[in-house]
Parts: sequence; C-alpha cells; structure tokens
Amino acid sequence: MSSVETPIAVGMVAPSFVLHDDAQRPLSSSETRGRPWVLAFARGWTPGHDAGAIRAQLRGLGAILFVVSDAGVWSFRPDDDIELTAGPSRRLRREAAELAARWGVPSGEDGVFVVDRHGVVQLAHTPSGDLSATLASALAAAGREVIGLPPRPGITRRDWAVMSLVAGFGLVLLHGCRTPGSDRPAAPAPVAVKAGSDVDVVLRINGQDRRLRIDPRTSLLDALREHLALTGARKGCDHGQCGACTVLRDGHAVNACLTLAVAAEGAEITTIEGLARGEQLHPVQSQFIAHDAFQCGYCTSGQILAAVGLLREGRAKTDDEVRQQMSGNICRCGAYPNIVAAIQAARKEV
Amino acid sequence: MKPFTYVRPADARAAITAAGAGSASFLAGGTTLVDLMRLEVMTPSAVVDVSSLPLAAIERAGDGLRIGAMARNTAVATHPIVVERYPLLAQALLAGASQQVRNMATVGGNLLQRTRCPYFRDLAVACNKRAPGSGCSALDGFTRSHAILGTSASCIATHPSDMCVALAALDAVVHTRGAGRERAIPFGEFHTLPGDHPEVENVLEPGELVTHIELPASPFAAHTHYVKVRDRAAFAFALAAAGVGLDVADGKIRAARIALGGVATRPWRATEAEQALVGQAPGRASFERAAAAAIVDPKPRRDNAFKIVLAKRTIVRALELAWGAA
Repeated sequence: MSSVETPIAVGMVAPSFVLHDDAQRPLSSSETRGRPWVLAFARGWTPGHDAGAIRAQLRGLGAILFVVSDAGVWSFRPDDDIELTAGPSRRLRREAAELAARWGVPSGEDGVFVVDRHGVVQLAHTPSGDLSATLASALAAAGREVIGLPPRPGITRRDWAVMSLVAGFGLVLLHGCRTPGSDRPAAPAPVAVKAGSDVDVVLRINGQDRRLRIDPRTSLLDALREHLALTGARKGCDHGQCGACTVLRDGHAVNACLTLAVAAEGAEITTIEGLARGEQLHPVQSQFIAHDAFQCGYCTSGQILAAVGLLREGRAKTDDEVRQQMSGNICRCGAYPNIVAAIQAARKEV
Repeated sequence: MKPFTYVRPADARAAITAAGAGSASFLAGGTTLVDLMRLEVMTPSAVVDVSSLPLAAIERAGDGLRIGAMARNTAVATHPIVVERYPLLAQALLAGASQQVRNMATVGGNLLQRTRCPYFRDLAVACNKRAPGSGCSALDGFTRSHAILGTSASCIATHPSDMCVALAALDAVVHTRGAGRERAIPFGEFHTLPGDHPEVENVLEPGELVTHIELPASPFAAHTHYVKVRDRAAFAFALAAAGVGLDVADGKIRAARIALGGVATRPWRATEAEQALVGQAPGRASFERAAAAAIVDPKPRRDNAFKIVLAKRTIVRALELAWGAA
C-alpha cells in the first residue's frame, strides 16, 4: 500500500489520473478537459437507485463526477447520458488505492475534491477537515468571487455549477454513505391522509415543480394525463404489462401506471414532453423518426423513454440484449425491427 | 381501487406502528400491490409507503453481503459485488419481469410477491388465497401454470419469484423489525406452504417490516447458473426454473445447491438432489441422478404433468451450464 503523499490543497493544479477496468477500458481525468469535475472517495457508497438522481442533478451543470468506492469506480457525465462503471478488479483496486494516496486520502477514509474548468482544485475535503466548515467556507468564497466580479462576462454558469455540486454531492456522498441504508438525496416529508380525503402533492416533472391536490389512489399516469395535460405517456393495459406509460424516474424507466402519484414525491420525473432540449430532439427521438420506428404511434413515447433508460444504463449492447431489455414495451403494429435499429443508431449519439 | 389511508412514515418505527393496525399493506416498488389493488384483489385499509425509507443500501457484512429491503432489483442485479460473488442472484433477477418493473421492484417486495394464478386475480371465481374458505377454482380449471410441489387441497398456486429461487439456493437470511423485536429468519423458514390457509404466505406478523436480507459468503460463485423455461423468451413467468451452484474440489462435488421456481407453491429447495451430488464427479450421469431425486411426490393436475419432466431437464441443464460442460 502506498503511503499518503502531500495532500492536495486548494489552489493546486489537480494531478491527472487513469483507471482501468477488467476490459482495460480507461476512466480518465482527461475527459474532463474544459469542464469542472468532482472526485469523491466515498468508501461505503454504492450506486443504488440514486445514480439517476445524481445524473439528473448533473444534467445541464456541465460537470463530471467521479466516485471511487469499495464497490467500484463510477463516472457520471451530465450531457451524454453515459455512466462508465468499473467493477472492483484487482488492478482497479490497486489503482484506486494509489489514486487515494496521491490525493492525500488515507486508506479507508472519505474525501471530496472539486476541480474547476482550468484544472485548479477549488475545494478539498479530507478526513482531517470538518465537512460543514469546508462547505461553508467554499460557498462563502464562491459568493465573494461572484459578487466581486463584474456583472455577466466573468460569471459563468460553471462557477455556480461547481458550487451547487459541492453543496449537493459533498453532503450526499459523504453523509449519505456513512448512514447505513441511506442512498437517496432527500426523502419526501412524512404524510398521513385518511381514506376518502385528497392529498396535496408536489411532483417534479420535466424540471418543474407541479402542485396538485389528488386522491391518493391516483396513479402517476393519471396525474400526468388527467391533471397536468401531459398526455404523452399513454394508458394501454394499466397493469405494467405494455409499457405505453413508461416515464423516467430519477433517470430509470418505470411504469407510471403502477406508480402512485403521491409516492413519486421527491423524484425527478421525465416524460416524453421533457426529453427534447427546446427544438432539438433527443437522439432517440430523431432516430425513431429516421428509422421509421413506429406506425400508429400509440406505444412510441413509452418505447422512446424505455430506450433512453436502456442507453443510460448501458448494459444492453447487442440486438438480442436490446430486445430483452425492451421486452416491457409492446408494439401492436410490430415495428420492433426498426425500433431496435433506431436504438442502436442512437447509441452512437448519446 | 378501494379508498385507503395513505401514510408515508418518517422512519421504520413509525412505519411498523402505522402498519400494525387494521389491514395495512407496506408499499415498496408497487409493482404487485398497485396492480392487485386496481383489480381489487387486495383491498388494504391503509397503505404505508416505505419506499423512501433509508433501507436501500447494498454493502458488505463480514464475509457476506447485506442488501437493504428497498434496494431495487436493477441495483442489486448490477451491483459489482453481486455480479462477482453472487452471479446466481444477478441472473435470476435479470430473468424476471421487464426493465421498468426491475427498476421499480424491491428486494423486500419481491419476497412478498403474490402468485400469478389467474384464479387469484379474477374476482368472479373462487380462491382460498384471495377469499379464505371460498374454494379453489384452479383445481378443476386450466392448470398449465400451476404447481406440482407443495400443493394442498386448498391451493395449487405457483410462487412467481425468480429472485427467491436464488435466495433459497444462497441460504439468505431475512431480517425483520416488528413491534418490540427484530428477527433473523432463515430463508427456508420464511415462506409457508399453503395447507389449509393459503391466504398466509409467510411467517411475518402484522406490521412486521423486512429491513434487509443477508447473504453468507458463497463457495458457489465459480459454478452457478439460473435457467428459466417459459412460454416466451422475455417478460414471462417460469414454467420451470432452476438455480444451482456447485462447489467442486479435486474432481468431486463438495457441496451443491439446487432450488426450483415455477413448479412449487413456495421457493423450493431440493435438498435430496443436493445430497445426491455430494461426493460425485460432476457430469451428465450425476446431474441426471440428482434431477431424479429433486422431484419428490409431485401432485400434477390435468394440464401440468409436463412440469415433472421439464423440471428435471431444467435442473440438468442448469447443472451443465454451471459446470461449464453444456
């Protein structure tokens, strides 16, 4: 085991790194060029169900998050939907241990570093430091910097982005992984509503908070269609068998018909209406058009969101694997061959 | 769907208190409960939503692994430690359901998954599991999907879970918390046989919450396989499934695990078949002897006698794939 070297401190240029998984796939700091990034040594962290939530928060912020834990190494990139996962091979364990030592994090301890787009360390939290004090001083410094700078030109979204990341991920990763079982950024508030009464809910849909008063029996699908006029999610079977109602919940494809709307509070929901960026279609949408991957179109929004979830998850690669992973979406027109082709084409663009 | 009181408790203790009264159900992923509430097969007076409780961690526990009850199927199946040390569990989980359902369904919910018996899901016919004492329309009905092992005169419904087959083979322990006590229940004691009370499916008491499962260190990771035979290659329930593991040293089987799905009223551990393998050289002959020993006193109905043969062949196939000789 390497000894701990001089700790990385604020103001230093961040050393580059390369990690390899079993397939010799590199996971490298070079992919961060021109972007802010966060390197978190979070020993007890596992991806669990919060990977999608992390990505949802990273989206648009333009930053990359690397997480090194006992279970492996992850890189979360916000704008291309790819999550690279490297399992705990012997080589990776050695490389990760060396990396931690190089960054001044003793074996088995946690640490978080934030590097700005110029490659300079802006925040270093190691076990010897007090996390909340580190965060407070970093936020204060960020505030001063932002206030002291001339209006507009000098203040980039990324400056804000870095600070959002620090506040969010530093706390989530370090505090979260120390509390056994906690793998969600924030749990929704407790609630109790008697049978026959309505309940006030706030749903986060396509990046916006939507307030509703609904019967607790209302499914997420009915909330979208009947209360929010978002009719892109379709009702086919209403039993989780056809996939027409598929939406993304924290980045994962789920059946909106089997989700109680009240139980979706605190989650980031993406519907087909929220997939394009302005006029620019998501690559999966464009490729469905290019490949004529539908006829009547009833199942299409569900197919597209299931495909986005599939590509984000990144496991299904061959045509057979894609078919297997898409088996929860029925197409009565039988457009399956073109759907598979569209997904494979979109893979190269996401 | 019948009206219900909805409770999202602040913590596990509040959840247990809320679920202890009346006919409450815990809500986790919702893939079984919401479906069956919509059919009005399940009509809980209260739904206690435990899905956001901090019970989703997957972490090492000594030489083994601890999986939180709220961990989603996808998260478990793709976790590096599961993939490396418990590939049987990953295979079983990925053989089940669809992408969407795996992203929603939890380990705790999967333990309590209800049968897919069509008579259970149909309010117009008799079902002792749904309406105790009403009779069983399946007995003289279409029984292609029904169980041949562990049945009773009251119920022949098949246990539907793939995950539970792997957990049975891996000697999982189910950890629970109820009013005033915590329990660690060996997997083989968790699910009950239907007997005269098919409405009772496990040993949980009202309000008792599954918090996590624990897997002991497994010597079977190198030689293990899950084979699921079904009417279509995806998103279908098993007609027969076998989860097996072999621990082989010096050309002899030191220990074996064989568990079956799709053929029994609960996750089915075939201990006689396991014993038949101990000390044997792995190969077609010993695998076939084990398969013959696995199906003890089957009780087929009109349409499912084929499962006796199918289950044996599924076991042989799984053992061959596990050993790498297929």
